[in-house]
Amino acid sequence: MKKIYLVCATGIATSTMLRLRVESYLREQGVEATIQQLRVTELHPDRVDADVIIATTSVPDDVRGRAQVVDGIPLITGQGATETLRHVLEILQSKS
Amino acid sequence: MTGILEFIGNFLNTLGPLIVLPIVITILGLILGLRFDRAFRSGLITAIAFVGIFLTVGLLGEKLSTVGQAFAERTGTGLNIIDIGWPAASALAFGTPVGNLIIPIGIALNIILLLIGLTQTLDIDIWNFWHMAFVGAIVQYITGSFALALLAASVSLVIALFLADWSAPLIQKHFKMPGISIPHLQSAGYMLLAVPFAWVMNRIPFLRNLKLDPDTVRKRLGLFGEPIVLGLIIGVLLALLAGEAPLDILTTGVNIAAVMLLIPRMVAILMEGLTPVADAARDFMTKRFAGRTFHIGLDSAVLIGNPTVLAAGLLMVPIEILLALALSPLGNRTLPFIDLADGPFVAAMLAPLVAGDVLLTVILGAIVMGIGLIFTTLLAPAVTAMVVSSGAAVNIPAGYASYTVMSDAAIPTSYGLYYLFQTPVVVAAIVSLLILVGLYFLKRRFPLGEKAFTESADVGEKASTESASD
Repeated sequence: MKKIYLVCATGIATSTMLRLRVESYLREQGVEATIQQLRVTELHPDRVDADVIIATTSVPDDVRGRAQVVDGIPLITGQGATETLRHVLEILQSKS
Repeated sequence: MTGILEFIGNFLNTLGPLIVLPIVITILGLILGLRFDRAFRSGLITAIAFVGIFLTVGLLGEKLSTVGQAFAERTGTGLNIIDIGWPAASALAFGTPVGNLIIPIGIALNIILLLIGLTQTLDIDIWNFWHMAFVGAIVQYITGSFALALLAASVSLVIALFLADWSAPLIQKHFKMPGISIPHLQSAGYMLLAVPFAWVMNRIPFLRNLKLDPDTVRKRLGLFGEPIVLGLIIGVLLALLAGEAPLDILTTGVNIAAVMLLIPRMVAILMEGLTPVADAARDFMTKRFAGRTFHIGLDSAVLIGNPTVLAAGLLMVPIEILLALALSPLGNRTLPFIDLADGPFVAAMLAPLVAGDVLLTVILGAIVMGIGLIFTTLLAPAVTAMVVSSGAAVNIPAGYASYTVMSDAAIPTSYGLYYLFQTPVVVAAIVSLLILVGLYFLKRRFPLGEKAFTESADVGEKASTESASD
């Protein structure tokens, strides 16, 4: 199963928005994935276990080495949302 | 007019958020173009979130209040006002009469201000209208007037938009996020207070040369970044100092850790309910303002991942506790608690004022929170009333500790408006207007730019006077 981290500053607010969008997109595409919402301070480089991290805030460099990080802000502002979702899908598909 | 508003206020209060919010959200969703089933679902989920929030806020209840009081007495610190944290406060604020209506009012006000060109910020972050609801709730508590509470909440919304416009050039440049602004009082609300201090500190070479490495701080203090661990530690320490029995100490610790996880989970359900409406509002507004340039107003959460902000936020944890103790002779009675986990929000918009230096950001944070702790103490009666009168079924025994919320009550605008609206209505209205005109002038003539603020420190030019935009 593919694994996605949704990361924001609180693990509550913008990551919930990301989740609703990512979930409905993946459902449309028929892709199954486990989704976990996290706050950025909980990201520890040694414990990262995800195929892709979508974050609405910047992610520390040591974590970037562990999984591919995608900027989630377009999903919040709506500008460039489709491209971002497509990019996430490509990353997930390239992992299999 | 006032009579009608008061009637509406009482009516909303009688019905309660479980009935009012689904109706308001459904109608708003329909107006913004959502299909009925989606709008209705949004409304229903919002109400369900409130059921969960009221249940979990009850966890904070009597027990914590008695432990807090025992802690204050046994340690002699007098810190008997407990910080319930923003997740609980945000939900409770949305549950008040002003909070029930703040989302449609906020969207309407923002659209009007954009149309007449007074702001450049399109605030799509309707979640954070809760800060305005909070201002409304405390003003309603002190004045008893729904009309004044609505007015105060609206004034705080315009302040947030103007602060966002004013700080946008600096924020966009410092965080490399073009096209955004941050109308989020939990961060932007501290900026004006911090600017003079930042200006002075940028001119002290000694301070500028003490560089702290953000990554080292993050590695050493990373534990503070995990709310459940922080909750456990703080809960155990508090119960220990309050003289509880050993088993009770552990139970209290686990309970506080639970609060740190459960209330935010409920708030996430609230977000889930509001998101489709937020999306509809965003599309509704962007469609109507197509072709015009504006800043998209976002939550300051988008700035938090910045290494300086994270490191400074972690350092704020011990500093806020020490400040609370140090300031108790000066009248502080707030015991920092749940919002200790949210230092990065305080640091977020202070960091760019000192070019991202960790130590200077922490010093600025300590200054604004030191002043802020006095505000949180002064606002405790209003916040306690908000908790007790909500549906959370929290009963505080007479003579026991009361509640405050460190993040929001510490913002200068919260206490400022609370104080201002206790004066005669004419005075409050005129002073509010003067503040807004002043801020408008500030953002037009002296927009905050990174160059003006930090680089010019070396050549000794006047700060923050980078070429005005008009």
